[in-house]
Amino acid sequence: MTKAITINNLTYQYDDQDLFDGFNLSVEAGEWVALVGHNGSGKSTLAKLIVGLIVANGGDIDVFGERLTVDSVNDIRAQIGMVFQNPDNQFVGATVADDVAFGLENIELPSDEMPQRIDEALHTVGMENFKEREPHTLSGGQKQRVALASVLALGPKIIILDEATAMLDPEGRATIMTTLQNLKAQFGAELTLITITHDMDEAALADRIVVINDGRLILDGSPDVVFSKSQTMHDNGLELPFAGELTARLTVKPEKYLDERELIHWLSPSNK
Amino acid sequence: MNNIMIGRFVPGSSWVHRLDPRTKMIVTFVFIFVMLFASSWGTYALSAVFVVLAIRLTQQPFKLYWDGLKPIFWLILFTVVLQLFLTPGTPVVLHVGPLQVTWPGILNAIYVMIRFTLIILMSTIMTLSTPPTSIANALESLLAPLNKIHVPVAELALMLSIALRFVPLLMDETQKIMNAQKSRGMSFSTGGPIKRARAIVPLLIPLFVGALQRALDLANAMEIRGFKDAASRTKYRILLYGRQDVVAFIGTLIFVLIFIGIKISGV
Repeated sequence: MTKAITINNLTYQYDDQDLFDGFNLSVEAGEWVALVGHNGSGKSTLAKLIVGLIVANGGDIDVFGERLTVDSVNDIRAQIGMVFQNPDNQFVGATVADDVAFGLENIELPSDEMPQRIDEALHTVGMENFKEREPHTLSGGQKQRVALASVLALGPKIIILDEATAMLDPEGRATIMTTLQNLKAQFGAELTLITITHDMDEAALADRIVVINDGRLILDGSPDVVFSKSQTMHDNGLELPFAGELTARLTVKPEKYLDERELIHWLSPSNK
Repeated sequence: MNNIMIGRFVPGSSWVHRLDPRTKMIVTFVFIFVMLFASSWGTYALSAVFVVLAIRLTQQPFKLYWDGLKPIFWLILFTVVLQLFLTPGTPVVLHVGPLQVTWPGILNAIYVMIRFTLIILMSTIMTLSTPPTSIANALESLLAPLNKIHVPVAELALMLSIALRFVPLLMDETQKIMNAQKSRGMSFSTGGPIKRARAIVPLLIPLFVGALQRALDLANAMEIRGFKDAASRTKYRILLYGRQDVVAFIGTLIFVLIFIGIKISGV
């Protein structure tokens, strides 16, 4: 398997304090990785380092084998899309279509190819009927789906969602999660997803969960492995999802991590 | 805050709405320029007919335009009063202390009022029928020749459209901060002018901090989506002149020709 991202011996200081000191992580192409940690654990900083919005003090970051440097940063950004936390602060265009077009205009796509790319991207996130709407008439979840479409239109190999659901209501959050699952089903190994979150239900959808705290890697594994380490999670200021908390207290545990509905069914097979 | 009509866009699909934004901008500027030469009842009457016709073509109620005039009522009144008292000439109609009202003064005051009203109505037609981004696009296209003398037209147009896009957001934020402060006992509508002005300061500071944070976030989002500079970008919305733009230009030309005719014949 090819590596999408390799981080080697990364150091980064913030306010004269070491946030990262010799941090290593690699992400396989096509993987869905959830990066979790409490506020200030360094997870958002890591995302900004990967796309070169901030510069590390030491160590290397490789994206699909290409080393991140001042010269390569534009090439690397062309392969990575990023959705940020605040839905309003990343909406550049005056309408949904204009916002998706913004990135296409930047990469100097010919004007006559734009409508098709915009339609495709909006269709993927289920926003095709909102093309001419203005941002203030959309809900937070809809704006984030547009942000996702804006990124998708550029055809990235990696998408990083930096707390993209943190400011949304439960309904908006659910639509984003469904959209991500659809994306993964549609693009498969072509798309590497990194979701940065402190919502464990969200993290449970990923193939792999990476827990970081104070710039150190605490846990790394599939959701069922990570959620079985309930004490370590608590020590690092993280709550397990309800199903995880319950599983941790069971004497006889299911073989793999089960979400709430699956766990109910496992505990009482007659209960559908 | 919602009663401010200047610059507000009202969605629609009227004949004027469908015109190219550049056409509307050029016609408006030509009209304002021509109005500077209006000096007789004939020319004012003709201009008024032109404006009323244009208003009818937007298919919006007159009340909307009336609302558009209201905020500048005091400005119009101020200029009218100035004209009324400060125009010299004979015969003198009225003495008010050291000031005097002359017959040319009265005439001038009426002319200025009509001129002001017509110019405001004409610009309202443009802003009311054109989305802000189209105005920014039109400006970019019309000012393109300035690129030759190194004016960053594309950057300015992008800045303008982003600024316009954040207006409703910052309005909302202002309202939120005001509500938060009102709920803690702050009053924005009582006290003298100095007290009221001072109440604005604690409102502006969080607003500015918030706006700067937004600007930083937006800069990140733009950079990640491949923004390098405004000039080398392709365009999603391409402006094209159509048949009705030709009709609008011919209509304006006829107006200007009749205007000149009246002006020469001295009606």
